Amino acid sequence: MTGANEGNVEVKGGLRSDQISGVVLIAIALVVIWFNREFPVGTLADPGPGYVPLLLACTLAGIGLLVAVMGARSQSMAEIEWPEATRALIIMLACIAATFALERIGYRLTTAAFLVFFLGVIERKHPLAVMMVSAGFSIASFYVIGTLLKVPLPVGPWGF
Amino acid sequence: MIETFNSLMMGFSVAFQPEVLMYAFFGCIIGTLVGMMPGLGPLAGISLLLPATFGLNPIIAIVLLAGVYYGAMYGGSTTSILMRIPGEAASVMTCVDGYAMTQQGRAGPALAIAAIGSFVAGTLGVIGLMLMAPTLASFALRFGPPEYTALLLMGLFVLAYMSGGSMLKTLAMAVLGLLLGMIGIDVMSGYTRFSFDIVELGDGVGIVPVAVGLFGISEILLTAGQADPPKVQQPTLRQLVPTKADLKLSVGPIMRGSVLGFMIGIIPGSAHIISSFVSYGIERRLSKHPELFGNGAIEGVAGPESANNAAATGAFVPMLALGIPTGPVTAVMLAAIMVHGILPGPMLIQQQPDLFWGFVASMYVGNVVLLVLNLPMVGLFVNLLRIPYAYLYPCILAFCILGCYSVSNSTMDVWIMLVMGGIGYVLRKFGFDLAPVALGLVLGPMLELSLRQSLAMSGGDYMIFLQRPIAVTMLVLGLVLLGLALKPLIFKSKDWRSSVGLDENVD
Repeated sequence: MTGANEGNVEVKGGLRSDQISGVVLIAIALVVIWFNREFPVGTLADPGPGYVPLLLACTLAGIGLLVAVMGARSQSMAEIEWPEATRALIIMLACIAATFALERIGYRLTTAAFLVFFLGVIERKHPLAVMMVSAGFSIASFYVIGTLLKVPLPVGPWGF
Repeated sequence: MIETFNSLMMGFSVAFQPEVLMYAFFGCIIGTLVGMMPGLGPLAGISLLLPATFGLNPIIAIVLLAGVYYGAMYGGSTTSILMRIPGEAASVMTCVDGYAMTQQGRAGPALAIAAIGSFVAGTLGVIGLMLMAPTLASFALRFGPPEYTALLLMGLFVLAYMSGGSMLKTLAMAVLGLLLGMIGIDVMSGYTRFSFDIVELGDGVGIVPVAVGLFGISEILLTAGQADPPKVQQPTLRQLVPTKADLKLSVGPIMRGSVLGFMIGIIPGSAHIISSFVSYGIERRLSKHPELFGNGAIEGVAGPESANNAAATGAFVPMLALGIPTGPVTAVMLAAIMVHGILPGPMLIQQQPDLFWGFVASMYVGNVVLLVLNLPMVGLFVNLLRIPYAYLYPCILAFCILGCYSVSNSTMDVWIMLVMGGIGYVLRKFGFDLAPVALGLVLGPMLELSLRQSLAMSGGDYMIFLQRPIAVTMLVLGLVLLGLALKPLIFKSKDWRSSVGLDENVD
């Protein structure tokens, strides 16, 4: 933590990834303990619904503490690179939009729009290829999964 | 022995039914394709196919999914050898020497030895499964709640010891998974826990959305935007024939890899991944020319490829004999059986002999199908890799959404998948292994039930675990391994991971 070398491992200044991880694990454990207060813990002879979650949360807090304490030589936060983060965020937002749309406008339309967005807007592929892949994938997958394998898939208000 | 033979014959009568054969064949093809595609490992493939098996009979469902599993093990080696892209994590070690052989113009023998090794290991693994599972199931009939608690705890300790990365981080992920398993209605008291008034969470968090999110979505988030893969080499059929020297060098690694992989496969955790690393380390140590490893040693392909296929089969032993999954893949397969109202556990083999023996026999058939299919058709399969990733990943994402929605026709599963995908992405950035989360999720309710039943049996006395010989043996074994895992942390010494080339941040 001081910027000095420890053995062969160069320890740069700043927070380490395992220290952050350990603190987050402890925070998760505390949140679980907080919500677990609604459930009776019971007795050892008759453990209640809150018994095992409490036991696990305490274990998680303990492990989190060890991860944080022993994380002084882990990777520095500054060394973790996020070059794909913007693309990852766009993907997540598109998936969220598709999930919202799925039961509202139906599987085929949602999937077609989803693929048009990725192939046309993000990847900037040729419009003809975009149309063919989007329409082909949504119709073919609906036919195989929905019609042949009889898995019920959402249909929009327009009947497709 | 005669009884086993008769049962196997009965199994073959099931496996040779045209419908079962057809689905085994489809499973192997889908698995091979799934294994070849980066971002779609066997777990994502099986999870996405799960809803499609609901309408099938249970034997066909499990035969299809098992075909995908070991097909993916075969498929993963092809991209590793030809392009240095591991289609799935277990093929990472195959990349090292397999790709070096490709660069030397010896892709054909590398592919052939990988396929032969996979076939031998798969077949030996099925023999092991056939002999071990019924014996283990009979033994497990003596298990009560304390024994199950000890067994599950031992599994988690072994998982920590055998994990590819940091032991503490692995344990943290397992506990996180166990906590996820607490969501939903508590079967003993009827309380609905941690559902935040969301009705769909009353049934708990399903393994499929968690697995697809953690493994499928997080992989796409990490790899989206990458450059298209390089050109693919297509060896001709004649080039696939290995030389006598290649075969001679490969016999030992294949046999060792098969035995080692099967044994590791029985243990909980990312067995097929670990087995390939351990096998590579052992072969390098045993070789008269260790300097060739990394530069195209065929033993470096034969050992790990055999080990990961044998491990895939070994994982079915506790699944079928005890009803306990050793990893996310077997957890999803257990879910597939349970959908059909079949209760996994020690009674499964007795109550559903046609399912167990039909499954075993179908694995013999599947291994032959994969050997016959993969080598001549390798040129055809690698064409899939010519599809630019820009087209591939949106389609995989659409499949993930479709697959998760189909499990229970609910967008809640899709939301869970997306949340787990985001969490998985961050966790992988921080060097966490994700498999224990999925395993913990499945083991959580089992562990809670058996622990609370044990405590109720003993009137709250934890000594019950020390008073029962089977339970105490398993606990001691687990604690010894946990101690061994803790040793390098306390004394700053090297552990087994460094000797087989696994570093702390393997995920």
